[in-house]
Amino acid sequence: MRRSRTGFAVVALGAAAAMVLTGCAQRSNQGAPEGGSAQPSVGYPETPPVEVVPGKPGGVFRLGITEPTAIDPYNVQESEGTSVANALFTGLVQVEPDGTVVPGVATDWSANDDCSQWTFNLKPNTHFHNGEVVDATSFKRGWERVAAPNSGSEVSYHLDVIQGYEEFQAGQAPEMTGVQVASANQLVVNLVQPDCEFPLRTNHPALSPAPAAVGPTSDPNYTDAPIGNGPFKMDGKWEHDKGIRLVRFEEYDAGPKAYLDAIEFTILNPQNGVQLETDGFKAGTFDWARMPTPLIGPNRAEFEPQGKWLSKKTNGINYFVAMNAEPPLNSPEARKAVSMAIDRAAIAEGVFKGAQAPADSIVPSLFPDAYQPGVCDACVYDPVKAKELAEKAGLTPGTEINLSFNTGAGHEEWTAAVRQQLEQNLGLKVNYQGVPFTDHLNNMEAKGASGLYRLAWGADYPTPGNYLIPLMATSSIKLDAEGKVTGNNYSRYSNPEFDALVARASATKDEAARNELWKEAERIAIGRDLAVIPLFQRQQFRLVDHSKWGNVNMDFNEDPTFDQIFLK
Amino acid sequence: MGKFILRRIGQAVLVVLATTLLVFLGTFALGDPFASTGDRQVPPAIAEQNRAIFGLDKPLYQQYFTYLGNLATGNLGVEYDQRRPVADMLIDVLPNTVRLALVAILIDVIIGVIAGIIAAVKRYSFSDVLVTVVSTVAIGVPTFVLGVVFLAYLAGWGPFPAVPRPFGSEVPWYQEVLLPAFTLAIVDAAFVARLMRGSMLEVLRADYIRTARAKGLSERVVIGKHALRNSIIPVVTYLGVSLGVLLGGALITESIFQYNGVGYLLFRAIAGNNVPIIAAVVVFAVLAFVVLSLIVDILYAFLDPRIRLD
Repeated sequence: MRRSRTGFAVVALGAAAAMVLTGCAQRSNQGAPEGGSAQPSVGYPETPPVEVVPGKPGGVFRLGITEPTAIDPYNVQESEGTSVANALFTGLVQVEPDGTVVPGVATDWSANDDCSQWTFNLKPNTHFHNGEVVDATSFKRGWERVAAPNSGSEVSYHLDVIQGYEEFQAGQAPEMTGVQVASANQLVVNLVQPDCEFPLRTNHPALSPAPAAVGPTSDPNYTDAPIGNGPFKMDGKWEHDKGIRLVRFEEYDAGPKAYLDAIEFTILNPQNGVQLETDGFKAGTFDWARMPTPLIGPNRAEFEPQGKWLSKKTNGINYFVAMNAEPPLNSPEARKAVSMAIDRAAIAEGVFKGAQAPADSIVPSLFPDAYQPGVCDACVYDPVKAKELAEKAGLTPGTEINLSFNTGAGHEEWTAAVRQQLEQNLGLKVNYQGVPFTDHLNNMEAKGASGLYRLAWGADYPTPGNYLIPLMATSSIKLDAEGKVTGNNYSRYSNPEFDALVARASATKDEAARNELWKEAERIAIGRDLAVIPLFQRQQFRLVDHSKWGNVNMDFNEDPTFDQIFLK
Repeated sequence: MGKFILRRIGQAVLVVLATTLLVFLGTFALGDPFASTGDRQVPPAIAEQNRAIFGLDKPLYQQYFTYLGNLATGNLGVEYDQRRPVADMLIDVLPNTVRLALVAILIDVIIGVIAGIIAAVKRYSFSDVLVTVVSTVAIGVPTFVLGVVFLAYLAGWGPFPAVPRPFGSEVPWYQEVLLPAFTLAIVDAAFVARLMRGSMLEVLRADYIRTARAKGLSERVVIGKHALRNSIIPVVTYLGVSLGVLLGGALITESIFQYNGVGYLLFRAIAGNNVPIIAAVVVFAVLAFVVLSLIVDILYAFLDPRIRLD
């Protein structure tokens, strides 16, 4: 899970990119399928994706970010750093805003029968910014640089599915044995367990190639001006707390060249950065801007009619961890009762002013082939039914239930509304508790935790499995010696049927068949058992002038699609 | 005199030493910087490695002595996020803060001293009432309110550059420094004006002023030479201490204007729980304050011989 410095949910996989070649780009884009009956009509509508057309070179695209943790792939974590790293590097594959996987440096890729071994064929003779050729060794070098014991990387776990990672990371092996250079243009990767969605993982910046001229991760002279192979290259060094300037890589050969002459990232005060982005957009300083929540409504009213508005449901779900192993939520009826007693639409309207949409699934609408509108049938507000279920589950009036949230992140108001609804609709005695995030996490992990805990999840890779497995698979509970949860399945939902389905899905090569398995798994874990309680779908809003810039879309990382944008 | 200075230096060393302990305990209380927090999940093995790199796996007292030892040898260490040397970061931003502090003090002196003299000389006149009222209001308005108002209404207008400025658009320092300097100076100038007025009024009642007037000196000489020299002593003290505070970085003002000084550096470090920066900046701020107060005390002793006589 990656952190986001400005939003309260977490951001996802880097995407960017795509084939500017028409044909490829003319696809029906993401978005919630229309007409899903359970999809409540609350929240601001998404704007249709901009059709990608051929552009012309030119233009400097300017935007504000906050100081990234790193722009060198070894430690890229939040949306800001990913945004820069994705412009600087092209990985094996690329993911389009609609989730389609398209070639990056790899021309094609294939797996053995159970997806435990992957073979990537690389485009011959593509180049790094310093002129070096990108080959299979470059990828092995790049990955081992991240996984090395002394790299200081906080994101090396993205490589942990590869054989030999642990030994190499622990310093017990001279190389990561699972990554094999079969020939200059062929990379073979052996995994510790089958993963038919592994190529999507290679889109993460941590899995970028590195040239022979790469510097150590501890050398700021290098990490502030990394040598990439992407459509843009550094123009000078990263000036900390001031800005980063990228220019078009004229010799780019891993895909179509970018149109923009340059991208200018201005680094803003983290405290009011998004406000400053909006101010800057209005003043003509920035071409792309986020905004603080209270400004979403007014900005939409002002800018949508002018064609300067972008709205998209993105990779993220806000949900309640519901403690499955301890009373009172140790039965599906009890969890459904609680869920149906929550009026998501009223909260979305009243508290979020339309800036968040009620969720009706755990796999978000971002994955059109796996999203099942209304799969969470208990995500509908129905106090009568809730009361019935509660009685069945022994959730009688006066029953005590914990409702915990982390303070200082804007969760006070809506959790208070939930508390009120639970008291009103079910007569529960709610132990309402706001604590700092670390304590919140500790409480959730602790043995015997019970009740409801607020949390948000964004997938690291654009796959439904990256929602279902970490949040609900038995293998993601990871109890330690003291009975503490160390995985992401804080709800401690454990169902062999579900586990078998997601394992099968991970090992199913055919995409359509795999999606059917994901769907079936979600119908069990969410539809039948309600392992966790989905609440709100993450939605993002941006200001951008579509009459000035062509091909501006929002990628998986909630960043602009730099490699396609052109000045009209 | 030598004994006096020695004693004051001894006190200053003690203050700085005590500060290091407080800073250390304070930053330590911020918690484990490598723990998984918020949306950042650090794998335990990697968190452990990082803790070891920064010596956080050692016992607390040992960490303190290491820290103290490093500090004594001028080694401020590297920060957590990007492993940049903290000393370099501090040196980078220091000139900006020095400029800001000096310009702010200059504005203080010009506005505060003149307003104070006018108010004192024309006691109970309209100007006196005006100075009193305006200074009361100015002291009452918090700096951050003033800063935000300036930012909203003045930034980007006339000589005042916009905030934020796009990367690469350089603005001359004297323009960049204007709004934050005014923000900082206004409260201080109000204090100076009141201090100046009070002190001047006292001096004007003194015998030697009456003597000067009796000698037939012009009012300009009486005020500008005889009265001013004596009445400005408390103002100098105040401004000296004020300069010490400003050199430690104006956290709020610098942050509002994204002025790349010591205060904004500290602000970002606090937001990111970047302990090495916080520790370094706070110690630096205390040092700046202590040294400036020391200088003021010594100057004062020179200006006013009574101080030395215990």
